[in-house]
Amino acid sequence: MANARKLDKRRKSVRNIRKITRTMELIATARFKKAMDRATAATAYTRRITQLVSDLASSGLEVRHPLMEPRAETNTALLLVLTGNRGLCGGYNGGVIRQAIPRYNELKESVSNVQLEVSGKRGITALRFRGIEPHETFLNFDDQPRFSEVEAIANRYLAEYAAGRLDRLDVAYTRFVSIGRQQALVETLLPLGGIEGADSGDAKKSSSTGESMYEFLPSAESILEEVVPASFKAKLFKCFLDAAVSEQIARMVAMKAATENAGDMIKQLSMTYNRARQSQITGEIMEIIGGVEALKK
Amino acid sequence: MAELNCIVVTPEKTALETKAEFVAMPLYDGEIGILPGHSPMIGRLGYGEMRIRAGGKETRYYVDGGFVQVADNVVSILTNRAVLGTSVDAEAARKQLAAATKRPASTDEELELRDRLVIQSRAQIRVAARAK
Repeated sequence: MANARKLDKRRKSVRNIRKITRTMELIATARFKKAMDRATAATAYTRRITQLVSDLASSGLEVRHPLMEPRAETNTALLLVLTGNRGLCGGYNGGVIRQAIPRYNELKESVSNVQLEVSGKRGITALRFRGIEPHETFLNFDDQPRFSEVEAIANRYLAEYAAGRLDRLDVAYTRFVSIGRQQALVETLLPLGGIEGADSGDAKKSSSTGESMYEFLPSAESILEEVVPASFKAKLFKCFLDAAVSEQIARMVAMKAATENAGDMIKQLSMTYNRARQSQITGEIMEIIGGVEALKK
Repeated sequence: MAELNCIVVTPEKTALETKAEFVAMPLYDGEIGILPGHSPMIGRLGYGEMRIRAGGKETRYYVDGGFVQVADNVVSILTNRAVLGTSVDAEAARKQLAAATKRPASTDEELELRDRLVIQSRAQIRVAARAK
């Protein structure tokens, strides 16, 4: 039978761990709510951009922009990987890395120059461990990514793309589908496949004469020129927001499971401990009785 | 008289939602003033000061490019950043201006980018100076 004192010590340490994991769960819940609120607040902008694009499209303007044209030849590709700065969040970081590495290898085969940029300490170390050195790293994105920081990155990509030093941009991140479902995936952001709202405008155009009630200042083309980069920035920002929300959910779920497991373990350990203690006491009593019996003789 | 409903949206959040009598904002080539009953319009914003008059009081904001959409007395402003004029960081803007003027401008794209940065930082300095 195991030593009762050892078992008690173990039980105490498990209890401490349970305290930590439960606190982490609570923190993750609070952070998730905050991140979720921000993500919902951000949808107002995307919705209005979509509205604007569909208004533009219904004015009879063909939605076209250099950012949306696929390049004839892809010489430089960039993969941006969004992971967390911290672990203890289940398969969150692993999922993104598992999506990113095959895409990275695939790009390397077909494109001569592949850049890799990684946000989050976990992703950086995971890729280094596999012998892949990122060209650029970010550590400043946590549960509340700021638009100004994302915009700085977006502006750099846009400038590189316009200058022809970048032909393709992929982002590996965890998309937030619902509270119960998040999906790690790789999405191509540049060239932009299409802007939401552009198609709905076409449908409207065919039904009406294509005359819009809006007056465009200076012109619809000039506004479109500005809308497309804005929509790209909003899209990239949404990737960061989604990643932040998903990370908190993943941590919440992982810590909830850890707390439950610790509870089960404590139950098990208590049972073994009680049994061990009981048998120790029985053993001691037997010894005493044995001694008394021996003295009687 | 009808009132304008003024909504300022940034990618992070809805920065402002208020009733107003008059709104003035910078378009790409000059200022536009909007009173109730304005015809529907979509415009491209520049960098500069936006003034919102409500109840005789005027509030000044700095807007950082974007768009404005006017329809049915609703003015929606989509901008990257909307901050109160008093909280614009003139020092940072001056630094940005100094850095921008040093940028190389050998190609058309680079020239365009530099012009944009210069205009943006000058507008910030102007708004900050006026808010004092």
